[in-house]
Amino acid sequence: MTLSADRVSYSYAGPPKGGHYDGLNRAGHDASSEFALRDVSVTIAPRSLTGLLGPNGCGKTTLLKLMSGVLKPELGSVRLGQRELRGLSARAIAQQIAVVPQETHPAFDFTVLEMVLMGRHPHLGAFQLEGPDDLAIARESLAATGTAQLAHRSYTTLSGGEKQRVVIASALAQKPTVLLLDEPTASLDLGYQLEIASLLKELNRERRVTMVLATHDLNLAASLCDTLVLLREGQVLMQGPTREVLTSATVKQLYGVIADVSFHERAGHITVIPVQRP
Amino acid sequence: MAAGTKRLIAAALVLVACGAGLVSPAGADLTRSAPRLQSEKARIVSLVPALTEMFYAIGAGPQVVGVGSFDQFPPEVATLPRLGALLDPDTERILTLRPTLVGIYGSQTDLQAQLARAGIRAYVYRHGGIETIYRTMRELGTATAREPQAERLVRDLQARIATIRTRVRNRTKPKVLLVISRQPGTLREIYVSGGVGFLHEMLEIAGGRNVFADVARESAQPSQETILARAPDIVVEVHAEGMFKTSSVQNEKAVWAPLSSLPAVRNNRVHVLLGQHLVVPGPRFAGGAEALARTIHPAAFNR
Amino acid sequence: MSPPSRLAASARQALAVDALERPARKPIRTRLAVTIAGFGALAVAAIALAPLVGSTHISLSRAFDRSIPFADNVDAQIFFVARLPRVLSGALVGAALAAAGVVFQALLRNPLATPFTLGVSAGASLGAMLVLIFGVSLSVGPFSTVPLASFAGAAVAAGIVYRLATPYRRAMSTAVLLLAGVTLNSFFSALIMFAQYFADFAQAYRASRWLMGDLDVGSYQPIIAAVPLVAIAFAVFAMLPSALNVLSLGPEAAATRGVDVVRAQRLAFFSASLATSAAVSLAGPIGFIGIVVPHLVRLLVGVDHRIVLPASALFGAAFLVACDLGARTLLAPVELPVGVLTAMIGGPFFLWLLVRKG
Repeated sequence: MTLSADRVSYSYAGPPKGGHYDGLNRAGHDASSEFALRDVSVTIAPRSLTGLLGPNGCGKTTLLKLMSGVLKPELGSVRLGQRELRGLSARAIAQQIAVVPQETHPAFDFTVLEMVLMGRHPHLGAFQLEGPDDLAIARESLAATGTAQLAHRSYTTLSGGEKQRVVIASALAQKPTVLLLDEPTASLDLGYQLEIASLLKELNRERRVTMVLATHDLNLAASLCDTLVLLREGQVLMQGPTREVLTSATVKQLYGVIADVSFHERAGHITVIPVQRP
Repeated sequence: MAAGTKRLIAAALVLVACGAGLVSPAGADLTRSAPRLQSEKARIVSLVPALTEMFYAIGAGPQVVGVGSFDQFPPEVATLPRLGALLDPDTERILTLRPTLVGIYGSQTDLQAQLARAGIRAYVYRHGGIETIYRTMRELGTATAREPQAERLVRDLQARIATIRTRVRNRTKPKVLLVISRQPGTLREIYVSGGVGFLHEMLEIAGGRNVFADVARESAQPSQETILARAPDIVVEVHAEGMFKTSSVQNEKAVWAPLSSLPAVRNNRVHVLLGQHLVVPGPRFAGGAEALARTIHPAAFNR
Repeated sequence: MSPPSRLAASARQALAVDALERPARKPIRTRLAVTIAGFGALAVAAIALAPLVGSTHISLSRAFDRSIPFADNVDAQIFFVARLPRVLSGALVGAALAAAGVVFQALLRNPLATPFTLGVSAGASLGAMLVLIFGVSLSVGPFSTVPLASFAGAAVAAGIVYRLATPYRRAMSTAVLLLAGVTLNSFFSALIMFAQYFADFAQAYRASRWLMGDLDVGSYQPIIAAVPLVAIAFAVFAMLPSALNVLSLGPEAAATRGVDVVRAQRLAFFSASLATSAAVSLAGPIGFIGIVVPHLVRLLVGVDHRIVLPASALFGAAFLVACDLGARTLLAPVELPVGVLTAMIGGPFFLWLLVRKG
């Protein structure tokens, strides 16, 4: 199913007292400072691996949260297929869309298996306990992320890379059609970054799960994503296939940095090398 | 003889004695043996209700210039300045009144030190049994140069107590549960008089046997189980006036109904007595003992 | 190192460490059944055996002898009027506080939270203080004055905290919730001290005694008044455990796993506040149950709330009944306030927990 955001705008401050927004421009107010996202329209093609790219504060995390239904847009709508997310319960959304945040800190000492089984929550009734099917799905998700042997370990004792893989497994256990990831490798060191990146690529290819990745890491986006959405100051700069969208010109527009953007033979993908400061 | 009448007689005696020049209304300053000036008057402050009552009972009432927050008797104290109590004595105000004698609690050591620095004599109240009450009265008599009045008061009280003892002598002593506190409307957190203190002694004088006489403390909080086990013949609750509104005394008695195996409940011998004379270890305690005696041995007073 | 060999390395490491870790777990159905059976048996045993023991020796055959009229049967009265209501209220209060502790800890995402953290108990105490000190009498049906007033106080406190912590449109912020609760605690405690300052000795003493907690209810009325409230709270508790698991990952992580976060937080907050209010109104604020019991239970059964919540309720009942048994027999005929005993057990337990973690 296609996940799309249609002319969405969002403000963290909420609407003014006693009212709601009637358009972005209101007399006497500087609308641009209020909104984290303004009039953004993005369409995520099924089974694509799309990157939301931009500097900090550009609104990519906000857009991701709008797409997951955690936040509701002030204006515009987010749709999954034909249905607006606004009209769906959290449960219904979670059966289709799963999110991998940058960091996950459980307040209690859950085991890895317990963490992954929580991914089955949207599919279980209020008083229903997970059954053998759910356990099978959980184990299979663990296997897919190479963490099966960690099943009975305490989550908090894992390394950064292991934790992130477990969280991805938990998201996979939801059996989503869309997987949203917010800076999935930001807090990992280089080796783990490559690990997660190749895992995601593999999952996208083999399980045909649509993925949307919010990141500020240009090279990660370039290596992983087939489609990019460039965001700046709450608006879409450009969106389309990676090799068309990611150019020196757009990098300069986004970051104000002169960079060399070219296809790297050995790596097998586009790389971005900053060469000059603004 | 009623307490009020006695006080009137005591006051009259003081006036006569004053007129005869036997007793000077000016309080004696015992810390310095300076010659007493006629115009020098004693100014008394008392933070302790029992002491306040005693001051008035020995005729030093006119010298009292300030009382504690919880003093209620005699009625004259209603118009006097309130100076705090155990936790919150208003030291500044006390000093402003220029007292010559201040009745304070034993634990008020800070206040005592401040009074000493200001050269003001403090009388430190000690809580105890009936002998302590008599001793306190005598000591106050000395402090206010009213030893004869104090002695008379003590003798009167002793006489009254002796009368009570006589009336109830040779009567079997029933087992009595003397309740001093509980949560209103329920039987929770019942506090009783232990085998020590003036309440226990009053009970004995009144011809009762304290079921918790074996507890070597002034008060104890027994469980319902313990009360049931001790099976008192009579339950007497003693509280200050404000504890229950009088109209609900019946309700408060009914609260004991669930403990139906108590002889007190079975024989309808649950009594709720209200009044400060029952709970203040002061000059009215004899009235309290009398009330207890009438409750426990009503037949002894039907004459 | 390329990803595959990195995977292999971590696998080897995991296997090596695995021996020290927990063994493979049975499925949750089995664990739940075993836990409930085990703790349930413990609770039933405690409730059945506690009334048989006390500071007075009674004859059980006499107590259960129906031929003796109840009003003449001291042994029966001790058993049915003094001990049994006490044990039953201990079980009710213990279960309510332990379960409320679990729910508050999940709601606040903090294992150190207690049912009293958010000011509910301070509100209850203030309500009780005010009627004890001002001598007000306002019973309604089976609810007598002090429980009614303390319940009202608790409700006010919970209401204030809820309003403060629920921002526009969004889920409760646990930070604000905690701050509001701690502030309310301090404020109400100050009001309590203020009220006590102006009370006379007798009133102040009665008020202080209430604060130490007391299970000696002496009749079934207060229990009958509290049971419906606790039952409602528990009915809501039954709906929460799997949501609580997910909620402890954080509100956004929970939302993306299908939890209606606002609703779950609201249900958790109100049901746990209701259970705490009912318990404190019945027996005064008895501390440490709401934190010792959940922690002990987690040490034994893991952290899955679907198991921890029912197990804590059952163990809480047994624990408080046992503490009260100790309180009324250890120094007989003198009774310790039960809150003192729970504190004497709870304090060292926490020190031990801290030492163990550190």
